[in-house]
Amino acid sequence: MKGEGQSWPVKCTNPIDIKVLADYWLAALEGPVEEAVEEHLFDCDKCGDRLRELIALAEGVRELARSGSLRMIVSETFLKSAAEKGLRIRQYAAAVGGSVECTVTAEDDILIGRLAANLSDVRRIDLCICNDAGIEQNRLRDIPFHPGASSVICQESITFAKAAPTSRLIYRLVSVDETGSDHPLGEYTFNHTRSLPGPGEWLHR
Amino acid sequence: MEIELSDGELVRRIAAGEREAEAELCRRMAPRIRLYGLRHLRDVHASEDLTQNILITIIEALRHSRLREPEKLASFVLGTCRMTILDLRRGAQRKERLLEQFGPDLLGASESFRPRLDQERLAHCVENLKERERTVVVMTFYNEQTSADVASFLGVSEANVRVMRHRAICQLRDCMGVTA
Repeated sequence: MKGEGQSWPVKCTNPIDIKVLADYWLAALEGPVEEAVEEHLFDCDKCGDRLRELIALAEGVRELARSGSLRMIVSETFLKSAAEKGLRIRQYAAAVGGSVECTVTAEDDILIGRLAANLSDVRRIDLCICNDAGIEQNRLRDIPFHPGASSVICQESITFAKAAPTSRLIYRLVSVDETGSDHPLGEYTFNHTRSLPGPGEWLHR
Repeated sequence: MEIELSDGELVRRIAAGEREAEAELCRRMAPRIRLYGLRHLRDVHASEDLTQNILITIIEALRHSRLREPEKLASFVLGTCRMTILDLRRGAQRKERLLEQFGPDLLGASESFRPRLDQERLAHCVENLKERERTVVVMTFYNEQTSADVASFLGVSEANVRVMRHRAICQLRDCMGVTA
């Protein structure tokens, strides 16, 4: 008999495409296709292992999102879902050209900046993160947005914010045209005051 | 020498009363049932309960030679899983009494379900995704939103969302060193 942990059978002559496995996990397959996938999975541990890896990846992404440590554009649905899961959301809304006094506390789970902007007639938008002198440090390219929305909802990494000393960050939304040129949509200043214990400035090794 | 039993031979040995064959059945089928349960119940503990219930049902049936075509063991287990999930959804009671009776024999079928992931590496991989792809995977796996919901947020077609999702998953697998 085979030992524990060994697959049975060990070879798969017709492995399920990873895209199909993803759709299976997401319950997005039609009934007959889903049944065929399940029949295969009950005969093939190799594909079962691949599905487990996919689930682990999905769970890993979920944990990352839950940790609030990703800097990314999110939707209202994302915020609603986070609130329903009991996460504490700290939000700041900034008008075009406006500045906001902000902080985070140990209890906060998610940090959100709402950047007001006119998004109509725009093809592509980049979000530039700049230092207090306005010099671009990082750029989120081709961010998702809805033309009908009146703002972009940006999640800042809560891990970064909790570690950050009192400082000023400038966010800049720009539309990018066909030639790759930037056109300003809005600039937003976040004056972050540290409320957690820690060094007064970033430590550089 | 290690002998790999076919499903049919395994079924016949269980019918003949071989306890070691029952243990092998658990080793072979438990991971598959657990995976099925996780997909349909979305809960590790519920999936574990389902696995134990199914194994009890299957062993009972095989001890009494109720499977007419022994080579079709996998189909039999899958069919039992489907029926049990249906029953669960109809609010059927769990088989606590049988679990008490058979539970200790099934402990060996337990396994660590998920491969362990390096979360720090995954964070780096997710950060390297394009903005839209990152949004798609987070909305998909964190919010459990359908392609239609994500498409509505992004202002693109559902087909486009599926392409982005697939591309992102492939990139994450590559970045995490998953080669299978």
